[in-house]
Amino acid sequence: MAYEAVRVKTPLILKILPAVSILLFFGAWELTVDTGIVPSTMLAAPSLVLKLFIAKLTQSNPDGAVLSTHAWTSIEEAGIGYLLSLLIGLPLGLLMGWFTTIRGLFRPVFEMIRPIPPVAWIPLCIFWFGIGLWGKVFIIWIGAIVPCVINAWVGVRMTNPTLIQMARTYGATDWQIFTKLCIPSALPMVFGALQIALAYAWTNLVAAELLAADSGLGFLITMGRRLGLPEMVVLGMVTVGFIGAVIGVAIDMVEKRLLAGIRR
Amino acid sequence: MSVSAIADEIREPVEERVPVTLLRVLRNEYFLYAVSLVLFLYIWDWVAKAQILGRSLATPHQVVRELARLMTVKLAGKTLVGHVWDSTRRVLVGFTIASLIAVPLGLLMALNRYVNAIVKPVFDIFKPMPPIAWISIAILWFGIQEGSKVFIIVIGTFVPCLLNSYNGVRLIDPELYDVVRVLGGHRRNEIAQVCFPAAFPAIFAGLQVSLSVGWTCVLAAELVSSQSGLGWIIIQGMRLTKPELVIGGMAIIALVAWTTSLLVTGLEKLMCPWKRQVEGL
Amino acid sequence: MEECGQDGLKISCDKLRKMFIQKGKIQVHVLEGISFEVFHNEFVVILGPGQSGKSTLLRIIAGLERPTEGRVLLDGKEVKGPGPDRGLVFQSYMLFPWRTVMGNVEMGPKLRGIPKDDRRKVAAHYINLVKLDGFEKHYPHQLSGGMKQRVGIARAYANNPDVMLLDEPFGQLDAQTRYFMEKEIIRIWEAEKRTVLFVTNNIDEAIYLGDRIITLEGKLPGRMKSTYTVNLPRPREHTDAAFLELREKIIEESQLFL
Repeated sequence: MAYEAVRVKTPLILKILPAVSILLFFGAWELTVDTGIVPSTMLAAPSLVLKLFIAKLTQSNPDGAVLSTHAWTSIEEAGIGYLLSLLIGLPLGLLMGWFTTIRGLFRPVFEMIRPIPPVAWIPLCIFWFGIGLWGKVFIIWIGAIVPCVINAWVGVRMTNPTLIQMARTYGATDWQIFTKLCIPSALPMVFGALQIALAYAWTNLVAAELLAADSGLGFLITMGRRLGLPEMVVLGMVTVGFIGAVIGVAIDMVEKRLLAGIRR
Repeated sequence: MSVSAIADEIREPVEERVPVTLLRVLRNEYFLYAVSLVLFLYIWDWVAKAQILGRSLATPHQVVRELARLMTVKLAGKTLVGHVWDSTRRVLVGFTIASLIAVPLGLLMALNRYVNAIVKPVFDIFKPMPPIAWISIAILWFGIQEGSKVFIIVIGTFVPCLLNSYNGVRLIDPELYDVVRVLGGHRRNEIAQVCFPAAFPAIFAGLQVSLSVGWTCVLAAELVSSQSGLGWIIIQGMRLTKPELVIGGMAIIALVAWTTSLLVTGLEKLMCPWKRQVEGL
Repeated sequence: MEECGQDGLKISCDKLRKMFIQKGKIQVHVLEGISFEVFHNEFVVILGPGQSGKSTLLRIIAGLERPTEGRVLLDGKEVKGPGPDRGLVFQSYMLFPWRTVMGNVEMGPKLRGIPKDDRRKVAAHYINLVKLDGFEKHYPHQLSGGMKQRVGIARAYANNPDVMLLDEPFGQLDAQTRYFMEKEIIRIWEAEKRTVLFVTNNIDEAIYLGDRIITLEGKLPGRMKSTYTVNLPRPREHTDAAFLELREKIIEESQLFL
C-alpha cells in the first residue's frame, strides 16, 4: 500500500527522554565514584576523566606521549592494515567469486585462516615482527581481509543469473562478464565490506596494542592499568570508541553518496 | 495439462547434471582444493625448514607432534582437552548471560518507544567501543580470576545480540500484525505469535556474530592474564619460544571455533525450518 | 451467529471519507462520499483501477483503519475495530512463514482459545475445502502463489466469519492460475455461503464473480461511479454474449483503458 499510516504525534516526553537518560547515566556514574560506593581504584569519575583529557592534550606525562600522538599512531596502524586488506582482499574475493580456478586455489587456505580470531595471531606476530608497526599492521590486515573476501565473493555470486545469461547471448567472454557485470553488481556488498572491515580493523588494533606496543590508544589503556590510573583507562576507551564512531559515520556518508542510485 | 495441476506446483530447487570430462576434472573445484592444500603444506614445510623466518616457524610435522603430546602431557595442570574446555566454557557462560539480558531487552526496545528512548542513547555511546578495550577495566574490577574473562565476553556478545533481536522485530512486515488482529487476536497475541517467531532467524544471525566475538574476547583476555585456556597456550608458546605450540594452539582454536559455528548453524536449521537457505559460504 | 438486519442487510457504509497524513504534513484524500449496502450472502465486487482507494475502503470495513468521517454498520452496529466476524484475505498472502499450512489455518480458532483437537478438525475441513489435502505440513515458502492464497482463504474461513473481505487476492498470480482461482472461489463460496466483498482491478474477474459490481473512479479521492447488477447464472462464461455486453457497458461508462 502506498500510504503511510497516520502518524501519532511524538509526545514531548519521548523527545527529551534520550537526553534525560544520558544525563542520568553520567550523573549516576559520577555519584557512585564520588560517594565511594565504587572505590576510586576501580573506576574514575567522569569529571576526573575530563580533567585528564584536557591535561593530555598537551602533556606527555605519565605515559610518554600526548593524546593526539597516541591517537595518531593508532589511526596510522589501523589505516595501513585496513587499506592493505582492501587492496588485496576485495580483488581476491571478486575473482574467487567468478573464476573457479582461483577459487579452487585460494579457498582452502582462506577457509583455514578464517576461523582463527586475529587476536590469536599476536604471539606469532611477535615472533615474526617484534613489537613494531608491522606486527600490528599484519594483525589488522588478517582480521580485516576476511570480510572483504567474503563480501566481495558473495556479491559476485549474487549477480542476477538472468543478466549473465543475457550477456552470454551477446557473446561476452568470461572476463568481460566479470568486469562489466559481476563487479558492478557486487558493489553494494563491497561497500558493506568496507564498513565491516573497518570495524574489525579498529577492534583488532586495540587488541594488538594491548599486548605489544609502546604507543597508541591501546597502549594508553594498558598503561592506565599498570599505573593504577582508571581515568587513563577510561580516557583511552572513550577515545577509541569516539574515533570508531566518527569513522563509521564518515563511511556511511560516503556510501550514501556513491550508491545513491542503486537500490540495495 | 489440467488447470489444477498448474495451480498445485510446489517449488523445489532443481539440480543440473553436468557430463564428466578430463578437462572438467582438472578444472574441478574440489580437485583444485586438494592441490591447493598439498601445495600449502609443502610450502609451509619448506619455509620452516629453510628457516626463512628464522626459527619462528615450525613444520607441520612438529606441530602435529606437539599437539599429540599435549593430549596426554599436562601443561599447567591440564591436558589439551582441559584447556579447550576452559576456553569454551568461558565463552558459553559469557554468551548465555549476555543473551539472557540482551535478547529480551532488544525485543522490548523494538516494541516500546519509551524503553527505546531511555536505553538506546546509552547503548549508542557504548556500541562503538571495542569489547577488548574493556580488558583493563575488567582486570581492575575482577582481578585475574574467571570473572574478568567472563565479563569481557558478556560485554562483547551483548552488542550483536541486542542489535539483532532489536532489528529482527523492527523488520517484521507490519501487515502480519494486521492478520493477527483480523483473526481476533489482541496485542499480547501479536507479540507472542508474530514478534517472537519472526525475530528468531535474526536472533540466530546474531548468534554467529556473537560467537565469533566471544572467541576473540576470550582469547584476548587469556592472552593478557590467565592460567589456562587456549589463549594461554599460545602465549606460553611465545614465552617458551616454541612456535610449534603457538601454531598448534592456533590450529586448535580454529577447529573449535569452526565446530561451535557449525553447531549454531545446525541449531538454527533445527529451530527455524521455515527459513530458506540462502547460498552463502 | 448469522444475524441479519432489516431485509437481510449485512453491511452498510454511510458517507465514508478517509484522509491520510503523509510525511507529517501532506494530506492525501483517499475516499470521499462512499455509501453503499451489502446484503446477506451477497457477492459484491468493488472494481477500480490502481490507486483508487479500494484497498483502503476494504481495510476500513475490516476495522484496520478508522474513517475520517462517516461510519460502517455491520448488522446495524458500528464497526469500531478488527474482529473475527470479518475475515480478510490479503493480496500478498501474509501467511506466517514460520507456521505450516495447518498452523496458519488454525490460527484464528487458536487465538479464540478453541482446544487443539477441535480446531484441528475445523482447519482440516477448510484445508479440504480449498483442495489442499496432503499439504498440511508444508511451509509457505514451499508453495506456489495460488496455493498460498488458498491457504489464506482457508485461514479466513476457518475463523467462521460472517463476512469475507478479499483485497485483490489474485493480483499476484499469473493469468492461468487466476482463472483457476476465480472458479475455485465461486465453488468455495457456493459450498459455504458468506457475505463477500471482493476488491479487484480486473473487469473480467468482476463480472465473472459478482452479484453486484460497484465501480470507483480512477483518481483520488475515490468516489463511487456506478453500480451494476449481474444477473447471469453461474457458472459464467467469459465469452458469453451477455457477459461481453456488460463488459462493453462498464468499459464505456468507466472509460477504462484495456
